[in-house]
Amino acid sequence: MEPSQLTGMQAATTSARWSMPIRVMLKAFVLFVVFNLIFSVIDPMTVLGRFSAYNILFPGRQRLPYGDHPELAYNVSVLNLDAMLASHELMAAPKSADEFRVLLIGDSSTWGWLLKPTDTLAAQINRAHMKTSDGRTVRAYNLGYPIMSLTKDVLILVRALHADIQPDAILWLVTLESFPTDKQLFHPLLQNNPSPTRDLISRYGLALDPNDPQFITPTLFDRTIVGRRRDLADLVRLQLYGVMWAATGIDQDPSMDYEPAAIDLEPDITFHGIKPPSFGPRDLTFDALTAGKQAAGAIPLLIVNEPILRSNGRNSDIRYNYFYPRWAYDQYRAMMTDMASAQSWRYIDVWDLLPQGEFTNSAVHYTPAGAKLLADRLADSITHLSIPSGQLGKINAP
Amino acid sequence: MNLTQILVFAAMVALLYPKGPNGKPSRGLACTWDRIRIRVVQGRGWVILVASTLALYWLQSSSPIRSLDFWLPTASLALTTLVWVVIYTPDRAAWRTAVPTIAVIIGVVALIASTRYFDPLCCITATRPPDIFTVTVGILIVAVISAGAAILFRGRARRLNWIVLGLIVLFVVLKLDIATQAFSAILRGLNGQDTAQAAVSDVRWLGFSYIAFRLIAALRDRVTARPAAPGKPVPTGLSLREFISYVIFFPALTAGPIDRADRWIKDYRNFVQTHQPAPATTPRPFGMDDVVAGAGRILLGVFKKFVIADMLAIIALNSINAAQVTAPGVHGSASFWGLGDGGLNQAIWTWVLVYAYAWRILFDFSGYTDIAIGLGRMFGIKLPENFDRPYFKPNLTLFWNSWHMSLSQWFRAYYFNPITRALRSAKETPFLPEQGFFRQSTFIILFGQVTTMLLIGLWHGITWNFIAWSVWHAVGLFAHNRWTDYQRRRNASDDPESTEQNELPLRRRLATTLSVLATFHFVALGWIWFALPSVSLSIQVFGRLVGIGG
Amino acid sequence: MTTEIRSALAQYIAKEILQQPKRVIAPTTPLISSGLIDSFHLVDLGLYVEDTFGVHLDDTELNRDTFDTIEQLTALIVERQGG
Repeated sequence: MEPSQLTGMQAATTSARWSMPIRVMLKAFVLFVVFNLIFSVIDPMTVLGRFSAYNILFPGRQRLPYGDHPELAYNVSVLNLDAMLASHELMAAPKSADEFRVLLIGDSSTWGWLLKPTDTLAAQINRAHMKTSDGRTVRAYNLGYPIMSLTKDVLILVRALHADIQPDAILWLVTLESFPTDKQLFHPLLQNNPSPTRDLISRYGLALDPNDPQFITPTLFDRTIVGRRRDLADLVRLQLYGVMWAATGIDQDPSMDYEPAAIDLEPDITFHGIKPPSFGPRDLTFDALTAGKQAAGAIPLLIVNEPILRSNGRNSDIRYNYFYPRWAYDQYRAMMTDMASAQSWRYIDVWDLLPQGEFTNSAVHYTPAGAKLLADRLADSITHLSIPSGQLGKINAP
Repeated sequence: MNLTQILVFAAMVALLYPKGPNGKPSRGLACTWDRIRIRVVQGRGWVILVASTLALYWLQSSSPIRSLDFWLPTASLALTTLVWVVIYTPDRAAWRTAVPTIAVIIGVVALIASTRYFDPLCCITATRPPDIFTVTVGILIVAVISAGAAILFRGRARRLNWIVLGLIVLFVVLKLDIATQAFSAILRGLNGQDTAQAAVSDVRWLGFSYIAFRLIAALRDRVTARPAAPGKPVPTGLSLREFISYVIFFPALTAGPIDRADRWIKDYRNFVQTHQPAPATTPRPFGMDDVVAGAGRILLGVFKKFVIADMLAIIALNSINAAQVTAPGVHGSASFWGLGDGGLNQAIWTWVLVYAYAWRILFDFSGYTDIAIGLGRMFGIKLPENFDRPYFKPNLTLFWNSWHMSLSQWFRAYYFNPITRALRSAKETPFLPEQGFFRQSTFIILFGQVTTMLLIGLWHGITWNFIAWSVWHAVGLFAHNRWTDYQRRRNASDDPESTEQNELPLRRRLATTLSVLATFHFVALGWIWFALPSVSLSIQVFGRLVGIGG
Repeated sequence: MTTEIRSALAQYIAKEILQQPKRVIAPTTPLISSGLIDSFHLVDLGLYVEDTFGVHLDDTELNRDTFDTIEQLTALIVERQGG
């Protein structure tokens, strides 16, 4: 068929018909752009994070949301601090007059890696029904998060203290691996929360660079609905996994298998590239501890040097475990003790509390029995937190 | 189909709706451009054929068996061609028109295979296609088999039943795990790969079910075709291009709907020949409004499938979480709601998982169907609907009239109707009474329903849980059928119109609501058999729903 | 002719399928989509139509797309008879 054979009428209608879908698409596109721009300007992620079905439709989580395999863990890692806290039971728990409320912050061992939420250190403390000297019952809340960075601990603590949760004491479990300066901002949780993290740096004078290139500053586009689509989807998924959490009490992949922590070690004596004999003044961020202490204000804070695996395998004469060369860890312990007494912090060092058999896949992750031993060991120190530090006397001696 | 694939398919529509010339005589380049556009409109049929062929290879997932992602789509094409050959053998004219189609198909297959040699273009298949020599041998084998079949089946329609049987055997091979594994071992052996590694997941033949349904329908139609009754329109034979386009039409390739060839071909011919004056009987030509409506339907489907269904999937019953909804922990939500603890927590959440599964499977499948129908509409074909608000039906019979309709229609047309017709036409069995519950028709109904449901169930997989699902629905359908029969007999003496009018409207509405709820729950509970791989786990879940068992 | 077929069909459906001989079925009442006639009785109806009116209905035609009312079925029968 030749072009001329195409009837004029059909040709006209064909071109006329194109304009209709184009108009529709154009309108849709303009609306789409406008909505995204409004969203970007308002940047409502913080507000959206506070809307949570937890504590309303289903019980709050016993620990902060974290999940590498959401479909098995019924838990999903989100970068929205408000959403993380809003899903926690702490945010809704009514405080009775006889409750002595203790917040636990720390790394994955406090969070309870490979432990059921009912077997973590916080749960073991609660199971022990500890009483303070003034008769209140200790109730511990697990605010640990599986990242080894002191700055992250302070970030979560400060955010939690913003809310009206009336804590009576804070238990901060630390280990050397959370101290190196170069590790402070390594995790996306800190990188994607630049402004609260920068607040910490400036308010407490942390020796970190507020313009660290690791910080992710969202552009106008990143803040649009399109730019935030994954964050928004994660918020919704977090709520939906609440159903599974309520139904099963599972918040970590129960089928997770692990290799036991290494006993035979590499003959390496460096720690994060730092060579013996001693740490430089800027290698470790002790100022993060000071920041945490300041953030706690009048609330009693107990710092705990958490238990580590002490290996007896190959090269154990120069290393304690996968993380620590002996020289570094010994020096760290000494520095902690000196610092605690100089600043009169409440500090307890239980590094050698647990035998090898009570560790799971890492030199700081312990078994349920290990968590119980630790809770028992800390019992006195916790109950004494109700006593003002001036009257502590000898109790606080390490 | 994933989102990228859907987008690519939808974008292809631009090829089919070129902006027509503005009526003024054009010269030079513009004239050439107009000529190209018109050729494109005329080439719509080829676009659909080539697009469907490419999609057949593109959508096929990879397999550990070397080159299987190339050979399975090729086998689909070969089977389709073979079936066309045996059906249309007597027609010499059909053969002549088939030549360009065969050339195009071989060209496309050769092109796909040759991407092996052009690294930046490789590959439309999931893994590197086999070398051109092997492909040539493969095409020659198909040609020889087709030619042999053409001679073997010439004018002997009843022999086509053997091909139907062959397709059914293929179904069994693909749906029965041990057979699939054996099949995989054979393929691995042919390929010189380790047969010990053979797994069921090796052989995932994209679209086989739906291709086979269409092929069986075409074959059976040919076998049962009668000399045209007076007044019945004589269906014109499908050309090879039409037949292949129908069988592997890409929007309906992976999960239906299963259109009937005679209906599909009307839309198709109307669409590819828009430049001809439309006969009075054909509907108005397709146009931009179809593209817009199709796009809207695709968006709806994408929302249903990728947003709602995917979210519900998080909380839908599955083999893992079915066993995890345990007795209440310390945080049991029943106690959270002040409902005490114990079995109540387990029961409540098990119900939630079951409901979520029921809605998930509906949104997933009907969303997928929306996408298929929307794409089809963009390409000029109004595919049949598959769902008609199935969870809002007052009885199970109506549910099955509105759930995966094109599949149940297919089973009715090619299994239930012929078998029931044969049994009804057979002589009365002497030992069954004429009247009463044990009369012959009761058994025919029971037989027809149970076997149809079993076939539908086994099509999903030859396992006990699908058998249990089939029996669940067959029993439900039979019970509903007998109940209706009993009601009708009991009320036979009444004047039904007056009784219906005498009922209060509120009471009737309440009765309908209760019926809808009961039907939905029957179906939702039935999904437990469907969702869980083991019957014992399903029974455990049933127990938990009523607060029994741990 | 059409009227006779219609009334014959209506009577057959009321008496044999619905078991309610007094029931009056309008030519436009949906039969299949409403669930009034299930798949089993549809086959019976097909057999009845073939025996009574001498026209053939394919197994593939026994569905609501081909006919859903007495009116449509009658039209189909007349068309095939008249051919």
